[in-house]
Amino acid sequence: MGGFEIITDGLMKALQIIISGDPEILAITALSLRVSLTATILGALVGIPLGFLIARSDFFGKSIITTLINTFMGLPPVAVGLVVYLFLSFSGPLGFLRLLYTPEAMIIAQMILTFPIVCGITISSVMSLNPKLKETLTSLGASPFWEARVLLNESRLGLITGIIAAFGGAISEVGAIMMVGGNLLGYTRALTTAIMLYTNMGEFATAIALGIILLLISFAVNLFLTILQSRSKVKRTI
Amino acid sequence: MSSAGSKKILIITAIVLIAAIVGGTAYYLNVTANANRRLIIATTTSTVDTGLLNYLKPYFDNKFNANMTWLSLGTGQAIEVAARGDADVLLVHDRVREDAFVASGNGTMRATIMYNDYIIIGPPNDPAGAAGANATLSMQKIRDAGLTANSTFVSRGDGSGTNALEKRLWTKAGITGYANASWYYSTGSGMAATIRVANEKAGYTITDRATFYSLNSTMALSLVIITEYDGALLNPYGILQLNSTRYTNIQSDLGTSFLLFICSNEGQALIANYTINGRQLFFPMFGNPESIGLPSENSTVTVINNMLKARGIQ
Repeated sequence: MGGFEIITDGLMKALQIIISGDPEILAITALSLRVSLTATILGALVGIPLGFLIARSDFFGKSIITTLINTFMGLPPVAVGLVVYLFLSFSGPLGFLRLLYTPEAMIIAQMILTFPIVCGITISSVMSLNPKLKETLTSLGASPFWEARVLLNESRLGLITGIIAAFGGAISEVGAIMMVGGNLLGYTRALTTAIMLYTNMGEFATAIALGIILLLISFAVNLFLTILQSRSKVKRTI
Repeated sequence: MSSAGSKKILIITAIVLIAAIVGGTAYYLNVTANANRRLIIATTTSTVDTGLLNYLKPYFDNKFNANMTWLSLGTGQAIEVAARGDADVLLVHDRVREDAFVASGNGTMRATIMYNDYIIIGPPNDPAGAAGANATLSMQKIRDAGLTANSTFVSRGDGSGTNALEKRLWTKAGITGYANASWYYSTGSGMAATIRVANEKAGYTITDRATFYSLNSTMALSLVIITEYDGALLNPYGILQLNSTRYTNIQSDLGTSFLLFICSNEGQALIANYTINGRQLFFPMFGNPESIGLPSENSTVTVINNMLKARGIQ
């Protein structure tokens, strides 16, 4: 079978799967979405406030911390997976939590990947705000919460970019979730790990079909976020 | 933002959130732990890639009201994962490390349950002239042709059982220093992935027969069998019960159930009946390791047979 045939076969198969609603593939897709969306949201919940704090305060070692976070934006997923595995393993320090080979373990591993991305982009977008904005707020006697609200609102474009980048990294990543999820059938099998499995079994068309489904999901989520982003352009709080 | 108060609030919110998530998940898992009949088998890529475990799953699940799942790893990683207490039962094929696993107290019982055999595969024109029924001789010829840049060898290089056998064959053929040779590629991947590399490079490799047939049925390979039916190429699979005193977290009862199931007449018959394109891939041999020249396992076999009777499985 030639390369093109396999890809066209994969396209047909993807269509077939989507139309027929194969329950196994649907479960795999739902798991991928659940894990990566949760990891992105959690990463943002921690990353945005922390990034904002770092950007708005002056302290010794700020540039080193910022550099570190920027470096962690490129963490290798498989290395993160190995470290999280060693922690969650029965013989590891957090083994008592019994989290290994669960979707929750996959979320933890992916959150370690998404957090620095959101945090790093938050730092740069908050720091690139016009300094006059802050001066104005201070002269108006704005409370810290009011100030944070206005500044975060002004950096919305950047924050959403961070979330988009984090989600893209999470949904397409295979190394970390393979290691801590174990690719267990009907439980921790995600789109990317299933693609690897089907490739190993020589079922290339199914693997391509899953790849196409992954792209479609990614497209849908990004479409939503991009609409959010373009709307935020016209809104002003000040 | 300058106020220390709101900083504190933000940090506390973050901590509370993380704590709630971790705590909630742990609680949820504890609650559902008992209702959960999920068996995790640490096994090699060959039993997964050939579809054997997928085929056995419904039979085991129905009989034991279980949910059978597996980690598809190289034998090296599978044994390491089991040694850390991260699986319920171990199904691998590397006798030396299996025995070491039991000797170190990580495992409490080991039985040979089935075998398939390894084959040396290569390009149909056989540039090394390695065809025949003597694996050692084939390895020598592949090396010789490699030295004159007429052949390449593709190795798993991943510490798997297949990789261990390959190393034993090189040693038997008196060949050293192959790992750095220009005709030698080490993929560091699973069996099917390695066959695909050999296929692309028109090189030789060693594979278990089952993976070769099953991959050949899903994608047309250009490689053919070069050497087969040498006693040195037999590939026995062992099942290992893990030490439940050491690994208090594991589903040891389910693990034992799987061991008994696969040793039972029913399990052995299922293995024998598993075919791809009409070819039998695995040959059951529980209780009769002597049939392929392995040492007797009479004491273990007696223990397992008694357990099978005691639990009313057969």
